[in-house]
Amino acid sequence: MKKPEQRDLFPGALEMMILRTLKQQPMHGYALAQHIKRTSNDLLQIEEGSLYPALQRLLKEELVRAEWEISSTNRRVRTYRLTAKGGKHLEEEVSRFERMLEGITRVLALGES
Amino acid sequence: MKRLRQLFQRRRLYDDLDEEIAFHLEQRIEELVAAGRSEKEASAAARREFGNVGLVKETAREAWGWRWLEDLVGDVQYGLRALQKNSGFTAAAVLAIALGVGINVGIFSVLNGFALRLLPVPRAAQIVSLSEVLHGHFSRNVHGEGGLFSYPEFLDYREHNHVFSGLIAYDPFVEAALAGPKMQQLLGVLTSCNYFDVLNEHPTEGRGFVDSDCAAPGGNPAVVISDDLWRRTFSADPSLVGKMVILNQISYTVIGIAPPRFTGTDVVPTSFWAPITMQGALDPGPGGDRLADDNLSWLAMLGRVQPGLSLKQVRADLSVIAGRIDQRYPGRITSLAISKATLFGRPAERETLVPIASVVLLAFGLVLLIACANVSNLLLARASVRHKEIALRLSIGASRWRLVRQLLTESLLLSLIGGALGSLLAFWSFASVTRFVTSRLPHEFSPLSLSVDVTPDIRVLAYALTLTLFTGIAFGLIPALKSSRLDLNTALKGDGADPDSGKKSGRFLRNALVGGQIAVCMVLLLAAGLLLRGLHYAQTVDPGFDMKNVAVGFFNLNRQGYDENRATVFVRNLRERVAGLPGVIEVAEAECAPLAHDFSADTFAVPGRTDKFAIEYNHVSPEYFSVVGIPIVRGRGFTQADARDDAAPIIVTESTARRLWPGQDPLGKSLYEGSGRQDAVVGVAKNAQVSHLGDANGSYLYFAAGPRDNLRTHVLVRFAGGYAATAKGIRDAVQSLDPNMPVDVIRLEDYLEVWRTPSRIASALSGALGVLALLLASIGVYGTVSYTVSQSVREIGIRMALGAGRTEVMNLVLRQALRPVLIGGLVGVAGCAAVSSVLSSMLFGLSVHDPIAFVSVPLFLLVVALAATYFPARRAMRVDPMVALRYE
Repeated sequence: MKKPEQRDLFPGALEMMILRTLKQQPMHGYALAQHIKRTSNDLLQIEEGSLYPALQRLLKEELVRAEWEISSTNRRVRTYRLTAKGGKHLEEEVSRFERMLEGITRVLALGES
Repeated sequence: MKRLRQLFQRRRLYDDLDEEIAFHLEQRIEELVAAGRSEKEASAAARREFGNVGLVKETAREAWGWRWLEDLVGDVQYGLRALQKNSGFTAAAVLAIALGVGINVGIFSVLNGFALRLLPVPRAAQIVSLSEVLHGHFSRNVHGEGGLFSYPEFLDYREHNHVFSGLIAYDPFVEAALAGPKMQQLLGVLTSCNYFDVLNEHPTEGRGFVDSDCAAPGGNPAVVISDDLWRRTFSADPSLVGKMVILNQISYTVIGIAPPRFTGTDVVPTSFWAPITMQGALDPGPGGDRLADDNLSWLAMLGRVQPGLSLKQVRADLSVIAGRIDQRYPGRITSLAISKATLFGRPAERETLVPIASVVLLAFGLVLLIACANVSNLLLARASVRHKEIALRLSIGASRWRLVRQLLTESLLLSLIGGALGSLLAFWSFASVTRFVTSRLPHEFSPLSLSVDVTPDIRVLAYALTLTLFTGIAFGLIPALKSSRLDLNTALKGDGADPDSGKKSGRFLRNALVGGQIAVCMVLLLAAGLLLRGLHYAQTVDPGFDMKNVAVGFFNLNRQGYDENRATVFVRNLRERVAGLPGVIEVAEAECAPLAHDFSADTFAVPGRTDKFAIEYNHVSPEYFSVVGIPIVRGRGFTQADARDDAAPIIVTESTARRLWPGQDPLGKSLYEGSGRQDAVVGVAKNAQVSHLGDANGSYLYFAAGPRDNLRTHVLVRFAGGYAATAKGIRDAVQSLDPNMPVDVIRLEDYLEVWRTPSRIASALSGALGVLALLLASIGVYGTVSYTVSQSVREIGIRMALGAGRTEVMNLVLRQALRPVLIGGLVGVAGCAAVSSVLSSMLFGLSVHDPIAFVSVPLFLLVVALAATYFPARRAMRVDPMVALRYE
């Protein structure tokens, strides 16, 4: 079965960005997509749709929870929130990502020093 | 738990997902429209940015991990619909599977009842059966079967083990004559006095044994009788407990009546239980007091393991005791076999059961195989009708694996329906079939129906389920793999005909299946044919002596408390009275009656030769040879003076003479017995199959019967009048001499029946299986030929339009259809040659390469196959070329 993940993202990156965004404030799916696109300056070519499978995975792992709410424009929207478990998971993921990034940076810097 | 809750709420989860994706798209479109794009452009752009909506939904759903389950539910629903739509096909397939699975489950439940089911006692899983295997240099006496224990050994294990809450020792098969108005021979058990307590089967009336019953040898003549005996012989007399019964001439107090369903711990039901300490009185045999003999195998042991201990722990603990016992016998090493106790579980019993059970299961399995091949063929034929549907599904993106899975689900559904139906039929019918079969056996076997419980248990259910699943995969896999491999182009354009019908691979597969069916059917039918021939031979065989018009009575006077002198007087008087009966020609005595499954053998040495000869022998009175019609060909017969204890005169058979003294005159030659006594040959008797039916050339010799032989003897009476009158005369004579003497008179011919029974059961069984197999195989042949004909209607039409005659068309169809039948038949004949050599080693009178069976059975099968081919082929002949060419 093919995973529709963007080839230029490493596995788990999208989830990490979603969790980080939700940590700031609860959001619904559409806003989440726009926010990630905007903040990354459209550098990451993410198909918006791929957000939803990621959200379902996070829901299943109970890293986020979702509730139907009424938006400011008076529409039914599904708002996602970070759970305590999700917050802890995010910290671990970020620190692992940073260690990985550090490693990669060192290797890349080898020839230049 | 949470996963389960989510599973049932998944519909809501999916709805939520759909709604939020819809919201996402709407929101995006609104934004784009607000930014000045047209509705149409906005919609297209939103979708482009979003990606494939269906794929996203599918992937998102997969996150929950229920895909397989949803697919399965879908497949099952789809499969059920497909089966419903083709009700004719479904009925045929289900019927074939039900037959195949049903008879297999049935025969397994019978075997399970015999050999696998635990003892029918409370908490039976705790009861283990012990037996020992001795290695090294030792000599040991055996009473019954090897692997049994001596009484001192039992006491050792009982006193020193740390694993049993109770250990029983018992002599499983003790014969006793019950005296009184309903005099009869009973089979009972001598047991340690904890028997009923350890098994937890307490008598319903009276009491079981207590320790004091076993306190002193011969001290306590008490007996517990079975419920069956109580009802049959004592009309369920409620006051029987406390009364006396006479067993082998000694009075016993009935202290209890066993529970109704309890028939003992062996396959042959037990009629009574007596304390082991009564052995000397109840079963005085050679060897005398067996309780004191440390080196005699005669007791089976059953132990109830303390809760929480494993078999490994039990083995370890008992091995220590076995090691200590071995120290008493230097050079001997005992290894213990410990297993959960069943009715037929001792190693000696297993050895006889395993080969028979495997042949039987194999034969039944073959019928299932034919059924599978049949259903496979049906599925292949149906796949050609469904190939358009399959091609369509493939073309819209279903993976081949997905389709195979779906087709297999359909096969498994079929097999589950068929298997469930067949198992139900088996559960329902095999209990009565078993009762019927056991009640038709000679009376030696008939009590089996009491103890064998064929009702299904967890093991039978597991067997049924495994068999059913295996069946589903066996017949479904090849058609599924084949029909999911399609050339989409031609399939979608197709005209309704099987795209493979012209291709070699498709036809080959179908023909291989038909050939396989014929081959298996041939093996079963040939086996049945050989067995029937064997049975015919057994019924018409000339054993080399005259068994007609001879009545036999057996007397175990030793067991009735007679000594040698009294026995001699009794036998002499009896012979005089019987000889005086009207119509009686001559009376003889013999230690063993011919073909009575009663064997004595010793090793003999010939002076001047180093090798020893194991030879069976008989002690006979002088009249024996004329009563059973065995001529003395050289020398003389016996005279009254020949019964001597020193140098004994013997009569050998012709083949024995040839074997011991090839090319010499045997008269006057001498022979040494194992004990060292010297015998001298005085005569040569003609060969006769007196010991083993079918073995005319075995070695055999005769001694003259002396006074000692009267203690246990067969009286043979040749009569000219009616059998009934003679038998009554013999019984009356015995009654007048000793009213308490049990007497059982039968015809000498009746012994043949015991030899024939195994052949009879086997040929009936394989005959029934063979007919079933033939039925299935001919349906298979018929179905395949009809299918081929219907697929080649156009081809036939063209041939006929081009001028081919009806006969030519018929020949063509027949040739095509019969080729796999012939090849399969040849393979079957070859396979049967292998099977028959196994069968001939187990059954009497079976010739491995019986020409009549090997010619007539294949011919018969060929005729049936021709008939199955002819009817559909006739349809081909009537094809109207005009109709055929338009045929779509």
